[in-house]
Amino acid sequence: MEGPLEFNNQVALITGSSRGIGSTIVRQFAALGAQVVINYRSSGSSANKAQDLAQEVQAAGGRALVVQADISLREDRTRLMDTVKQTFGRIDHLILNAARAVFKPLDRILEREIHQVVENNFTGQLMTIKEALHLFPEQGGTIVFLSSLGSRLYTPAYPLGLMKAAMEAAVRHYSEVLRSRRINMNAVCGGIVKTDSFKVLRQYWEKIEALPEALCVSPDEIASTVLFLCSPMAAGIRGQTIVVDRGLSNMLYI
Amino acid sequence: MQTLITPEKVLEEVRKATVETLRIKEDQIQLANSFVKDLGLESLDFLDINYRLEQAFGIKMARHFFLEHVEEMFGEGTAIDPRGKLTEKALKLLTIRYDPNNLPDLSKGLDMDEVPALITVQSMVDVVMDILETLPEKCPSCGASAWKTEDGTHIICGQCGADGVFTNGDELIKEWLNKVQADTKLFTA
Repeated sequence: MEGPLEFNNQVALITGSSRGIGSTIVRQFAALGAQVVINYRSSGSSANKAQDLAQEVQAAGGRALVVQADISLREDRTRLMDTVKQTFGRIDHLILNAARAVFKPLDRILEREIHQVVENNFTGQLMTIKEALHLFPEQGGTIVFLSSLGSRLYTPAYPLGLMKAAMEAAVRHYSEVLRSRRINMNAVCGGIVKTDSFKVLRQYWEKIEALPEALCVSPDEIASTVLFLCSPMAAGIRGQTIVVDRGLSNMLYI
Repeated sequence: MQTLITPEKVLEEVRKATVETLRIKEDQIQLANSFVKDLGLESLDFLDINYRLEQAFGIKMARHFFLEHVEEMFGEGTAIDPRGKLTEKALKLLTIRYDPNNLPDLSKGLDMDEVPALITVQSMVDVVMDILETLPEKCPSCGASAWKTEDGTHIICGQCGADGVFTNGDELIKEWLNKVQADTKLFTA
């Protein structure tokens, strides 16, 4: 298929993609011809899910590479980039989807936990971008960061939202820095998505179960916006955060 | 002491929740299994299992591990040092909390990341039983002593139909830590 949403022979690295939104982005990229790098952090059920996902992509005739790496660790990031370089030689689209955080209010959070939140969701993200740059080809590519409504709206015990806000600012800032490399960078800010991470939210926000299905965005809706931002159709959008929440954040009353 | 729900019933529900979360066969799950080491569970999977148990029994499982509560109650650094290693006090607490025979060799110390592997199917059953134990003698709504269960998992008042009430898992851990502190003065500087 030839068309604006076509990624034949291009390479997409999606961090944190063994499950949830990340795995949906992998499926959509692969379906549109991209070669995909599936990344996960911890051994265990994520490792199995990543392998299953790779097999699914390969069974459909695509190419998939699975790399375990914790993006908050320098040696892991180095190994991730080295493996991608050896296998595909390049990255055309970098999707920063991995996230990890404690859920605690201010009066209970520990200094060590704040450091971890920053390392996983800010420092690690910026370093992933920096260390991937040499793999982008001459003609450039795209970077998309996955944000959430916690960047702008209060959610109980959610320090991750603060890092999402910082990353939205980083996207605006670095999209200019990366202009000379022909790399475009944007973010997608997702609303309430019923993936595994929803189980975390549900622990602290019991009434969330009562949220109408019509206001819950699907992983496919988030993923297709990510792919759009990676396509030439979105070439005029730079440094922006696109909210994909079915209008949830427009509402003062539900 | 509540006798309406047996440890066997809790084990059955823990097995069911594990099977549904990990999509593994029920006969793969043994009492002594570590969820992390033997069954491949990750932190997000624990939330899934906890949620299913909460739904099954009408309880609230702890959101935080007891060593995290130690840090919050007795000061950061009490249980976990800046490199993520458990302190002597935390290692001592592990031997109070768990059967020392089931613990790994603690003489070389233990990393906080290794701690979730200590949670076994048996310890999960114990935690649920401990929460169920907090059922008060009388129904707080009507004062009757008429708790009953029809499905073996949900306790309701036979008089007024109100749901059974239990102390939540985090509160129970805090109560336990206060008791340990009163008994041993472990966290007194």
